[in-house]
Parts: sequence; structure tokens; C-alpha cells
Amino acid sequence: MRFLRHLTAVVLTVAVIVGLGMLWAHASGGGGTSIGGGPGPAPSREVLRRLAQINAGAIKVAPAGNGFHLADTRNLIRTCEIEAVLAAVVITVSAVRRRRRRTRRAAANP
Amino acid sequence: MTGRPEPGPGPAPGASEVAVAEPAAPPVTGRRGRVLARTRLDFWLDALLLVAYTLAYSLGFTGIATHEWLGIGLGAVLLIHLTLHWDWVIRTTRKLLRPGGRERFIWLVNLLLLLSMTLCIASGILISEVALPQLGIIPPASSFWRQMHDTTATVTLILVPIHAALRWRWIVGVARRLAVWRPGRSR
Repeated sequence: MRFLRHLTAVVLTVAVIVGLGMLWAHASGGGGTSIGGGPGPAPSREVLRRLAQINAGAIKVAPAGNGFHLADTRNLIRTCEIEAVLAAVVITVSAVRRRRRRTRRAAANP
Repeated sequence: MTGRPEPGPGPAPGASEVAVAEPAAPPVTGRRGRVLARTRLDFWLDALLLVAYTLAYSLGFTGIATHEWLGIGLGAVLLIHLTLHWDWVIRTTRKLLRPGGRERFIWLVNLLLLLSMTLCIASGILISEVALPQLGIIPPASSFWRQMHDTTATVTLILVPIHAALRWRWIVGVARRLAVWRPGRSR
């Protein structure tokens, strides 16, 4: 019963966030369909260059099919690297601050 | 997306314990090294979420179809994750005005993560190219939601490791106990 009560609160919270996102989209005029919604802003030069590279085969894009592309693990490794670096920074800062706190406490209560 | 209690330095010598437990959970006595069922659930659910998120973010590795289905599954499991820690959300929100910076910082990180993750998954559903059309639903494509998905995905990539690392002592504490845990000794 408690779980259901909490789940209801969570779903309501998420619904409010999504609703606010919808309002934001509506306010910025970008929430509708692209069909009839105007052409939108022109793609940047960088996007056009990348599209040309993809068409030329210089950049490989993963196919849309099901299943993992084990040959393309670079993408996964990069994600893991970013996560590991950020986590390491937070853990280091946390450990240093904890050590300082302990030292200060020990100095205050000899 | 929420916090959890620190495992602490462990029980006093000779005392009955379980240090790795939610504060709201009833006190448990037993042998050293026992891990609460609820703590095990939290630990493995969080590990599953982290792996699923890492895979879902790596679009080049998963391909669009797996990426989309993983994202939808991630959304469902995140609702459970948040529900399991709703007590912490209420408790910490009430304590926000009191002094003490650490919990406030964790609360802020978790709030930002909730916002960005919710918008990331919602925008991902709204720009779905494979998963929803497979179910016969054609979502309205929009450059706004595509931009939103890209931005919030980048924000979550920064916040997810911070969110996990802020509880590294809990993670290490539970992992250590699980490493020596035997099913017959659990509650």
C-alpha cells in the first residue's frame, strides 16, 4: 500500500515535469509536428559537412537494426571513460574532504 | 536518482548489527556480514540502471532499436528506483532549511538528474523512430524534442556518475558485504 502511494507520487511528479516540458515546447513553438510546422532553422555548416561525410562513407553510422554492434565498442568505451573520470573526480574530492574533516575533528578533540 | 544512507564505519565490536540498511527500515539483529533483502534489491537495481544507462547512451554500440527499447525500459525501472527512495526525497526535502551542505548538494544533484532524465526519456519517446512505430504509434517529430533529447542526454551523462559517486561509500560497503554474503544467512 505504501509502495503504491509512493509510486503514485512519483508518477505525478514525473507527469508534472513532462507537462512543463510540453509547455516549454509549446511556448517555444517547437512542440508540434514538423509537417506543416515550417522548415525550422537551417542546418549548421558542421551538420552539412558531417552529412556529406556519412554519404561518402567516411563516417560509419550504426545500422538501425536490432541487436548490439559488437564491432563498434568505441562508443561504449567512450561512455564508460567519461563516467569513470567524473566518478573518480567526485570520489577523490569526497575522500579529501572527509580526511580534512577527520583531521580537524581530531585536532579539536585531542 | 535519490540518495541512500551511508553504511557507516560498521558496528561496534561485539554489537549485533546491520549497518547497511535504510534508516527507516526496522532494526535487524544477526550475524556480521548479513545484508538486508531491501539493501540487496537497491544495490542490484542501481547496478542494473547504471549498466542499462551506459548501454543506452552508447547509441553507436546498441543501434537505434535497442537504444529506444532500453530507454523505455530504463524509464520504467527509474520509476521503481524513485519509488523505493521516495522516503529519502521527502525526508531530505524537509531538512533542506537546516544547516549541512552535503545532503543539500546531493538533493540538488538528484533533482537535476530527475529533471534531465525525465525530459531525456520523454523527448526520446517523442522522437522515436523504431520502438513506437513498431507498436503502431507514430510520434510527432520535432526539432525541439530532438534538441531537448541531445541536451538532456549530455546533462545526464555528467550527472549519473556524480550521482553514483556521491554514494561510493555505500556502494563499496554493500559490495564488500555481498562478496562474503551467503544466501542462507540472509533475511
